[in-house]
Amino acid sequence: MTNAIQVEHIAFGYWPQSLVLEDISFTARAGTFLAVVGPNGVGKSTLIAILGGLLKPRSGTVLLDGRNLRSYSTRAIARKITVVRQEFIPAFGFSVMETVLMARTPHYGQLGFESQADRDLAAQALSLTDTTQFASRPLANLSAGERQRVFIARALAQDTPILLLDEPTSCLDFRHQVGIYDLLKSIQLEKHRTIVAVTHDINLAAQYCDEALLLYPPCGPSDAEGTASTGQLRCRIGDTSAILTPQEIERAFGTRVFSGVVGRERFLLPLGTRAKDAGLSGRTSG
Amino acid sequence: MRKWWLLSAAFVLWLISGYGIVQSRQRDASPAGSDGREPVRIVSMAPNVTEILFALGLGENVVAVTQDSDYPPAALEKSQVGTFWQPNMEAVVANQPDLVVTLAFEQQRDLARRLRRMGLRCLVVDIQSVGDLYDAIAAIGDAAGARVQAGALCDNIQSEIHKLQQATAGMPRVKVLWVVQREPLRVAGRDTFINEIIELASGENAIGRTLHKYPPIGAEQIIVSAPEVIIEPTMVQGQAERQQQAPAYWSRFGDLPALANERIYVIDGDMVSRLGPRLHIAVEAVAKCLRPELFGE
Amino acid sequence: MSSAGTIRRVRSVHRPLTPRMLLFRIVAAVVLLVLIMFLCSLVGPQDISLKAAMSRPANPAIANPSHQILVSVRIPRVLLAAMVGAALAASGVTFQALLRNPLADPYILGISSGAGLGAMLAIISGFSWTLWGRSPIAVFAFGGALGTVWLVWAIGRLTGKYHTTGLLLAGVVVNAFFSALILFLVSIAKSQELQATMFWLMGNMIEEDFLVLWVGGGCITAGIVALFFLSPQLNIISIGRQDARSIGVSVERTELAAFAVSAFITAIAVSMSGLIGFVGLIIPHAVRLVLGPDHRQLLPVSSLIGAVFLVVADTVARVIVAPAQLPVGVVTAMIGGPFFLILLIRYSRKVYWPT
Repeated sequence: MTNAIQVEHIAFGYWPQSLVLEDISFTARAGTFLAVVGPNGVGKSTLIAILGGLLKPRSGTVLLDGRNLRSYSTRAIARKITVVRQEFIPAFGFSVMETVLMARTPHYGQLGFESQADRDLAAQALSLTDTTQFASRPLANLSAGERQRVFIARALAQDTPILLLDEPTSCLDFRHQVGIYDLLKSIQLEKHRTIVAVTHDINLAAQYCDEALLLYPPCGPSDAEGTASTGQLRCRIGDTSAILTPQEIERAFGTRVFSGVVGRERFLLPLGTRAKDAGLSGRTSG
Repeated sequence: MRKWWLLSAAFVLWLISGYGIVQSRQRDASPAGSDGREPVRIVSMAPNVTEILFALGLGENVVAVTQDSDYPPAALEKSQVGTFWQPNMEAVVANQPDLVVTLAFEQQRDLARRLRRMGLRCLVVDIQSVGDLYDAIAAIGDAAGARVQAGALCDNIQSEIHKLQQATAGMPRVKVLWVVQREPLRVAGRDTFINEIIELASGENAIGRTLHKYPPIGAEQIIVSAPEVIIEPTMVQGQAERQQQAPAYWSRFGDLPALANERIYVIDGDMVSRLGPRLHIAVEAVAKCLRPELFGE
Repeated sequence: MSSAGTIRRVRSVHRPLTPRMLLFRIVAAVVLLVLIMFLCSLVGPQDISLKAAMSRPANPAIANPSHQILVSVRIPRVLLAAMVGAALAASGVTFQALLRNPLADPYILGISSGAGLGAMLAIISGFSWTLWGRSPIAVFAFGGALGTVWLVWAIGRLTGKYHTTGLLLAGVVVNAFFSALILFLVSIAKSQELQATMFWLMGNMIEEDFLVLWVGGGCITAGIVALFFLSPQLNIISIGRQDARSIGVSVERTELAAFAVSAFITAIAVSMSGLIGFVGLIIPHAVRLVLGPDHRQLLPVSSLIGAVFLVVADTVARVIVAPAQLPVGVVTAMIGGPFFLILLIRYSRKVYWPT
């Protein structure tokens, strides 16, 4: 299996004195579904932006299909990678269908119009994300969850081999969460896409993703100025069963979980001190 | 690909239209009235120009004037071409003039340029000082074929003024404050034709040299200038009222010599602020204010 | 996370654009423009009839005043109004898209005060030389406008590359500073110069030489066509900058090109006609309300409607208090305001307004 994205020792900081990501290296193989998990502020969204070519790492390289990401033009990147980030309300009242159709722009270039094939693709994307009924609505008239699905539909319409998503299901209800993950999984398997998704939902990640990348926060007091150049490990990648274990989660998030076995995978449930079953925290059932 | 053909075609069309414009301009380039004949139909774009034309005896030839040309009374009957500030170009053209006389400030100069482009003959005169006035009269006389009358008019004005000057020769100059506006208070500075009128009438501007021509002025400077006479040119309608309010208004500046001697004069604004053939009358009016004992009320 | 927006059940909005729809709408707008231009050139302070203007006089040496008025006064005026209206509307659409701000207008980045300062300097310095017969005011205004945009752009870059907030703030600062300079110059100006400046600042269609119209019109048309080619990218940029990059739009290059072209055509428009407000702000909104925010349609249609609007406004300005003349800026505000309110009331249920 070829490597879709290779990350080698990248480091990044928003401010000159601090580093958000440090010495991150991993490989996302083509056709896999990779989950990116970690505590808040550890740099997951930043990592997605770097992988998508939206931010330049301070050091290190990102290789896309074996070539340095920097050597690609913006348009070339857009044909290979789609980035889906947090939903928002745009300033002008484009309808859902218009928004999704815009994703086809890299394919028809300057002052072109969408062909029937483009329209069909967009319609299909809408139906896959259960948003066809909103096709004529302006984005502002949707709920956050509906909007999120629209942005995912747009990513589908862009139809690239690699899909990077930043918390794609954060606003969605149960049914739609599962729906999106089913959709992503089917795309991965049937169309051989590579999917990298940042998620807070560790259990869904365990059920759907092949591999997980766990990002650890820097040791010691985290402050805006400090750089933790202590050579400590900042990330680990591996099978979900190896990474998403109670020990690793505790180490990364600093919280104990109650864990159990579902079938092929585990589930992990964080229980706080006030939870009804607080006493079970840290134990493993079954 | 089709786009590029369309664009190229449009570009070529543009070039062709440009060529066409240049060609048609060369064809129409003969300016009307260049045959050296005297102009029969004259349009005046300013009230003082109107006065000059009438004073030169060309009243019959004047076909249109601006709305504010109110002297001589015969001018009121001519057809109108907008105002001094907003000339109505269409009306000017509709009157089919042989000669259009304008002043030299930007709007009118622009108008002259445009009329010339259309092939009409224009004369631009700049009347900012007394010297300019004589030059303008000469220029208009030249253009309108009234050279002799122009010379006579200038001589007439100059001799009248000279008479006034001789009557006041050797007398100490009277300090005058010329107030063009009350709220806020603005006076005529040294760099204006008003100043020239004052000096011709044997007066002296109470204000020294200023940056502005018509500077706004504060109470301190008024008191320091200590004018012996204050002249306030006003519209005819407001004259009486202003004369009445004058003592009350000026008393706020303390004890001015002009106030103490009741030498505050509210006069007809139109006549003195128009630099035209009635200049000598304006100077005389001012001289009357400065030396009532000499020239009578 | 996201805004606390309420869900409003509304009727359907605009359908996505097809080439046929676009062509139809553009052609309809062009027909409207030509018709309005024709009708308005027959209206003016003087009564002239088309017949009189077109008839050949018996003696060719005697000019036909109706013909002269029509050809040398009215037609250039109408052409100029159309050009300036189109330039301002197109520029307004572009600035609103780039700044993602519905309140943007062509003057927001200092063009107005820069042009005003240039014009004032020309008036005060009393230059009487002309550039190809054009008054120096126009040239200085053009230079002032472009110089100011460049200044705002340079300052905006200092606050962090291409941050729209930084750009807007730089525009505000430069506008304020130059306006203060203008006020200072106004205070020391002679009254004639003052009047001339005010006159220029309020916006006026002056009858121009055909050659000037040819150059100006060519530049403006080229600019609008260039912006039209950028409109799919404008669509995407107007949604979000980061988003735009991931869809493959080279945001910096597009923004630079669009800014430069819009600033250029606005500077040309302003140098020819003074500052005319309202057109660049309201026409894009009006067209967006009726036809939707797709810039491939919004840009050409707004340009054409902007042209129509200004031609009508200018004709009204000339005629309504004839023989005097209102400044065009006054008329655009007076017509534009209520007209826009009506549109807003009728169509607002279709549209989202950022709170």
